[in-house]
Amino acid sequence: MRIEGEDLRPLYVWDRVVRYTHWTIVLAMTVLAVTGVYIGSPFIAAPGEAREHFVMGWAKVIHFYAAIAFTLAVLSRILWMFIGPRRSSWRQFIPTSRRRWRDMKGTILFYSFFRERPPRTRGHNPLAGAMYIGVFGLYLLMILTGLALYSVSSYSYMRGWSFLLPWFHGVQGARWLHHITMWVLICFVVNHIYSAFLTSRIEKNGAIDSMFSGYKYLPPNTPEDDE
Amino acid sequence: MRRTTPDLRRELEARGVTRRDFIGFCAGVAALLGLPKSAGAAIASAIEHKLKPSIVWLEFQDCAGNTESFLRASKPTAADVLLDLLSVDYHETIMAAAGARAEAALEAVRATAAGQYLVVVEGSIPTGANGAYCTIGGRSALQIAEHLCKDALAVIAVGTCAAFGGLPAAAPNPTGALSVEEAVPGIKTLINLPACPVNAENLTAVLVYFLTYNRWPALDRYHRPLFAYGKSIHDACERRAHFDAGQYVEAWGDQGHRDGFCLYKVGCKGPATFQNCPNIGWNENTNWPIGCGHPCIGCAEPQFWDRMTPFYQHLDGVPGFNAATHIDRVGLYATGAVAAAFAGHGLVQITKRAAARHKAKVEAAKAEATAPAPAPEPEPAPAPAPAPEPVATTDKDGES
Repeated sequence: MRIEGEDLRPLYVWDRVVRYTHWTIVLAMTVLAVTGVYIGSPFIAAPGEAREHFVMGWAKVIHFYAAIAFTLAVLSRILWMFIGPRRSSWRQFIPTSRRRWRDMKGTILFYSFFRERPPRTRGHNPLAGAMYIGVFGLYLLMILTGLALYSVSSYSYMRGWSFLLPWFHGVQGARWLHHITMWVLICFVVNHIYSAFLTSRIEKNGAIDSMFSGYKYLPPNTPEDDE
Repeated sequence: MRRTTPDLRRELEARGVTRRDFIGFCAGVAALLGLPKSAGAAIASAIEHKLKPSIVWLEFQDCAGNTESFLRASKPTAADVLLDLLSVDYHETIMAAAGARAEAALEAVRATAAGQYLVVVEGSIPTGANGAYCTIGGRSALQIAEHLCKDALAVIAVGTCAAFGGLPAAAPNPTGALSVEEAVPGIKTLINLPACPVNAENLTAVLVYFLTYNRWPALDRYHRPLFAYGKSIHDACERRAHFDAGQYVEAWGDQGHRDGFCLYKVGCKGPATFQNCPNIGWNENTNWPIGCGHPCIGCAEPQFWDRMTPFYQHLDGVPGFNAATHIDRVGLYATGAVAAAFAGHGLVQITKRAAARHKAKVEAAKAEATAPAPAPEPEPAPAPAPAPEPVATTDKDGES
């Protein structure tokens, strides 16, 4: 297919695990953020008798189930970094080749208007990939602070997670971190959506569609990311 | 150690405590400890017949609040009597002796009952300025604690100051205050009974448990007995139904406050605090903070003065912002700033690209005007030099 004089061909880059975990995380994060903000500062006041309502109770139940989905998706994705195909590898995140470093510089130049276009990459662009290390770190922080907080009101084996509480300076510290990390992740989401639009628009590579179909549109001579 | 006066019954009656009261007290302690009803008889028998250990009560950086809590003067109770029957050999606030005689009593306990006496510590131990912030009889609190705690059968740290450092250890901790555990490492048996002040029922229950079974109740990682600190206040709270329903006090004195709604939104730290206040209450279960409409301030937790503040806010503020600025507001500001930054970036991108397209168009028109059109408009060439977008020479993305 010719677009603005370039020969772009569909190339299968995102396997099912990458796509499904991505959208599970998106959905889970949305539910978690909405219920989490409610749990942090309950904005719905239930009228009448307490026995007739379970608003906070449901918010917590939904939050916990979404948290299970989120945790499983994040852990599956992390495992897939080590056993999955090339474009799902941890090498997409941690730059190990000279090309990745050079392209990261190129992407920074693009974002700071010194270049017309970002360097083409088959998988993640190296700057985004490096950022996702931090994002996965925040996911793990969310999971651990969440488990620590869950342990407080648990009377099952989940109580064992209370060993995490001293790391976060107790329940209040864990709550605070859990809360502030949500906002950092929301800021990341803003950036992520903007960058997806931007690269789709400039590279014409179908970046947004690729997370549904798995196919990116790239010139056939685009080199492998880790070559 | 000394044996209880043989006629305990007469002594109790002289204080207005009937046999019925005494048995009721024993059953109550059994319930508090989570023991079966039959344990009441074992407890009664132990109190009546067993040897009572000497107790030394040390006060360091404290307000004597734990002593006050323990000596509740409302009415003589079985617990008070129990304490009288214990051999409290040194207690600065209540003992008659003073000066050298008091110090001699302390030394006598250590010399005659080494490894057999109990130490109750109230208050934190200052270590700054070589311990000059708290000295008793010419010795620093740290010296006294080391001298007495290491040989003790067990050390019971009562109150948050002794258990976790408490108020004196709050930032910036000017006196270098430490908890007993931090100041005197290597204590054989340490039991922490935090709270500000300690709930006398819990101290009584620990002592009774020891008298009855000759061992200490199960402890958690902070050396707190599980029977008293195993559950969060939130999980046993009488207002919990309002929390789950979504009914909260929004402001002091509003309808929800009058109706006894949940105090979560006005900063209740019950979900972050472990103690049995909802079950046993305070001052012979007269009431407790949440019961009278005040949020829990988390006084029984480590570093409560630093971590649980602001007391009337759910969460602490964000560094760089006023502490009262809600964390969600800061988060919204941050999200807005990030969104604005990227919107600006997008605008610059659009403007730059529009300008480049315009320039290319102008140049193409100029080229067309100077050179006569060579041939009919060709299909875009394989490598179209004057592409609609002028590709900068540095842009080698295709093949680099």
